Amino acid sequence: MKNEKKILKWLDQEFSESEIQDLKQTESFETLEKIAFYSSQMQPPRVDADAALVSFKSRSYQKSKAKVRSLNFKVWFSAAAAILVLIGASYFLFLNTDTSFETHIAENTTIYLPDNSEVLLNANSKISYNSNSWKVQRSLNLVGEAYFKVQKGQTFSVRTPSGIVQVLGTQFNIKERNNYFEVHCYEGLVSVTFKNKTVKLAAGKNFRVLNGSIEYLEDSNAPKPSWTEKESSFNRIPLNQVLDELERQYDIQIKTEGIDTQKLFTGSFTNTNQKIALESISIPLKLSYKIEGKTIIFYNYNAK
Amino acid sequence: MSDKNKNLCEENHFSDFYKKNLQAASNFAYYKCGDSATALDLVQDAFAKIWENCSKIDFDKVKTYLFTSVNNLFLNTVKHKKVVLTYAKDVPNLDRNNESPDYILEEEEFRIRLEKAISTLTVAQREVFLMNRIDGKKYREIAELLSISQKAVEKRMSGALKILKAQIENI
Repeated sequence: MKNEKKILKWLDQEFSESEIQDLKQTESFETLEKIAFYSSQMQPPRVDADAALVSFKSRSYQKSKAKVRSLNFKVWFSAAAAILVLIGASYFLFLNTDTSFETHIAENTTIYLPDNSEVLLNANSKISYNSNSWKVQRSLNLVGEAYFKVQKGQTFSVRTPSGIVQVLGTQFNIKERNNYFEVHCYEGLVSVTFKNKTVKLAAGKNFRVLNGSIEYLEDSNAPKPSWTEKESSFNRIPLNQVLDELERQYDIQIKTEGIDTQKLFTGSFTNTNQKIALESISIPLKLSYKIEGKTIIFYNYNAK
Repeated sequence: MSDKNKNLCEENHFSDFYKKNLQAASNFAYYKCGDSATALDLVQDAFAKIWENCSKIDFDKVKTYLFTSVNNLFLNTVKHKKVVLTYAKDVPNLDRNNESPDYILEEEEFRIRLEKAISTLTVAQREVFLMNRIDGKKYREIAELLSISQKAVEKRMSGALKILKAQIENI
């Protein structure tokens, strides 16, 4: 748009006749002038302030899933002490209200945080946060696995039992399971604090703590984690973690007989077809399995 | 906690603040969602947050807090209605002296196209554009209320103008 700066200035302040004459040289000024004039005559609905205030005072407020609380303004007209107690107690309770979301076995869900950041929760995971202090501090708790798409803004931090991950505006995946803590950064920059050690991960970099020891994995070019496309993939992960994930994605119990579950597995399985998923494990590892109701038993066909 | 903060928790002071800022906040919510009932709900919820956090909020920043709360609450609502704004009664035309029926009809059509075009703006563009045009707010003021930079406000205005011009001229 030609003369953009001048046009913007004209809309922000009063221009003199001569300044406006100048602007008339701008292409499409006539249209812009009409846009400016007619839009200023539009009217949003008028609100009756007194009526709204009365209605405000008699409202009871429904907060997030866990809490229902009402503020009774009539208390103002009784003892001052009672007022202070009410404000103090409700203030305290209000601030401690957490919003939480949980997934069960074989369930994924997407959650939008108050600032429009997105969280995809993998199976058997839980996040919780205080939505009222979100404006001041973006901090949430995670147990399990989630993929985050964080809006630009204040520092965003995720606390897990194993460590804290902090970011500014980015996409990353955190996996926090038994003895297994892994963070993949897909975009932006992430800082991970683990047992008083802090590590920074740029896009494509991954970090893992398995049974207490830290490993840096190869850089990956994947745009987002495979589980968000319904596939679980593993890169040199002990078999027992792989079998744990199978149990999370399908409603089954897994037992093993005569198999070394510390053996490292690289590969993947689908989260949408149990038979194919089981074969994705058994075939590369040359195992067999039998199905007894909801229990799958993996065993070595050639075992003595 | 300074004396100023204590005042917001005082009913009279709060009610004053409420009445003074209700229309502006409600306009803001309306520009976003296009439905007066939803807009009023958002605003009442936002004022509720202020009341409940009254001792914690810095008095100089409470207006910004109000607008940011409305914004955040809006982001949490799932339904988005098409935003339709109506004109005040007896709207004069740009050229008050022109009484030809052709001109009057032309301006009427322009207004209709403008209404439609405004509803196609993004929420971000629309709210800034209307706060400037209808509420008469300067860019600096809008920047403060929305907690963004003045440059960001200007960018949104510029985007809005480009889209409005293109939509209107293409029909």
